[in-house]
Amino acid sequence: MRRLVWILAVALPATVLAHLLAPGIGDLGTLLGPAGTLEHRIMWELGVPRLLAALLTGAALGVSGLVLQLTLRNPLAAPELTGVNPGAVLGILAGLTFGLFPADSAGGALAAALAGSALGGSATWLLTSRDPGRAIVYGLLGSALLAGLVTLLLAYQPSRFGNALRWLVGSVQGRVWEHLGFTWWWITGWILLIWAGSAVLGVLAPGDDHAAGLGLRPGAARAAALTAATALAAGAASLAGAVAFVGLVVPHAARWLAGADPRRTVPVAALTGAAAIAGADAVAQFADRLMAGAEVTQRLGVPTGVVTALAGAAVLVTVARRAAHVPG
Amino acid sequence: MITVSGLEFGYGDRTVLDGIDLTVGHGELVALVGVNGCGKSTLLRLIAGLLTPRRGTVRLDGTDLASLSRREVARRLAVLHQALAPVPGLTVRQLVRQGRYPHRGPLGMLGEPDDGVAEEAMELTGVAHMAGRVLDTLSGGERQRVRLALAVAQRSPILLLDEPTAHLDVRHQLEVLALVRRLRDSRDLTVLAVLHELDHAARFADRIVALAGGRVAADGPPREVVTEELLATVFGVRGRVVHDERNDAPHCFLDHPLDAAHGPAVAGPAVHGPAVSP
Repeated sequence: MRRLVWILAVALPATVLAHLLAPGIGDLGTLLGPAGTLEHRIMWELGVPRLLAALLTGAALGVSGLVLQLTLRNPLAAPELTGVNPGAVLGILAGLTFGLFPADSAGGALAAALAGSALGGSATWLLTSRDPGRAIVYGLLGSALLAGLVTLLLAYQPSRFGNALRWLVGSVQGRVWEHLGFTWWWITGWILLIWAGSAVLGVLAPGDDHAAGLGLRPGAARAAALTAATALAAGAASLAGAVAFVGLVVPHAARWLAGADPRRTVPVAALTGAAAIAGADAVAQFADRLMAGAEVTQRLGVPTGVVTALAGAAVLVTVARRAAHVPG
Repeated sequence: MITVSGLEFGYGDRTVLDGIDLTVGHGELVALVGVNGCGKSTLLRLIAGLLTPRRGTVRLDGTDLASLSRREVARRLAVLHQALAPVPGLTVRQLVRQGRYPHRGPLGMLGEPDDGVAEEAMELTGVAHMAGRVLDTLSGGERQRVRLALAVAQRSPILLLDEPTAHLDVRHQLEVLALVRRLRDSRDLTVLAVLHELDHAARFADRIVALAGGRVAADGPPREVVTEELLATVFGVRGRVVHDERNDAPHCFLDHPLDAAHGPAVAGPAVHGPAVSP
């Protein structure tokens, strides 16, 4: 309990603050000070929405990963390893390549991400339902296939590669208020819905027979839970593309912080995920600032996904090494 | 009360149960015995509504199981499963509280009384002192008692137990079975338990039902059912049955499998082994 309070009371505000200050545009005085200055405008119209996009993406990925892990009963079940996230990215890039929606349309990106993630996710689950022990094998195969299709799309229109990179690696750079409108409600709505149904997640986790014996229809409950996880992952992808490792690592952190009861782990996964991506993006912005000597406009900026991938890999290696020392 | 009539079930071409008729009266403790794969657990799962029969009906207190929702079934009967999938960090109290799930309110919230029921179930089964511990850190015997606490917390009049003594040492086997009997007595429960130790069934059950070839091969009080003929026809074992002088409970000496190829395991005096090894 104490580590929970500490981490959430310290880590989340710290990452939020770091994110706002990292670009070096201004300090909190600028942000809360009188309107009219250029710095004030930059912070409110670029910094704050970018921060909110990071927080939302992180919350969505954290909860989505937690739901996937609980319902598929697999510690590796994460949006990026079950075909959900790769599907979402494929959907977005296909939509952009074939001009199905304007590049700046948040609603279009969300719809395309949703279609793609539903496709990728349901393909994995259809295969998995006959052979549940191999969920991750099929998920990885499906994800590889979807990544192949993405490459095919890029080969089809190589000139788009620069634009596609932000979706492939994952970044919240350039997210402004227009992108947040509906996606904000979409993500917070699904998270609240999942939180309200956390008793179902708890009963489902120890097994289908167990859940059925307690009066739950496990098939229907799992379908609903996976739908919610897919919807969240699609929301995250429509904001930030394929940010790696957060959906995999954050649920484990949330369980370590809050135990096994989903009534607590769901909100904690949301807050931890939010802090994770806000922190990662703060690092990305700071790295940008250090490299600012070069012509900034010619560069994409350090993508958030690069930071989460590096940090996530480090965390996983540490955890795996520690786990290897635990007997039994 | 459980009433099973004409129950048939199979997987694909393989028929597992071929016309089962069985009644477990109110307050009765009935043991279901038979060799591995004879359909004991399948029958239990059919009665719990976890499988759908090909033919025949299961009635709980006269109501057809098929007409009840999952939640209504969960309020009438609790199942003790052989194992649960591991959930990292899940504590004893968190699991036992899930027993109240069938009784939850409209928003899925558990109330104060539910906490009381869960605590009481842990007291009754002797796991209250480990309520805060993580399930993965418990021994097999402790875990079995926790699963029993979960079933008790469900507060259903019928209890179905699938091999409640599996993987336990003799002391814990006796503890769990004595506990089941006490619960039956104090709560007036109707209990149907799959047991693989014939001696346990003979000692703790009011009635033994033996399955063989997808049918009920024997059904009656232990003294009448446990015979040398039953050992031969149901279990494929040559053995001798003696009766405990204190309570007349039958006790089996299992000498060797009937399969001629094996012959007597040991020449000379009979081997006094456990009734039926799993």
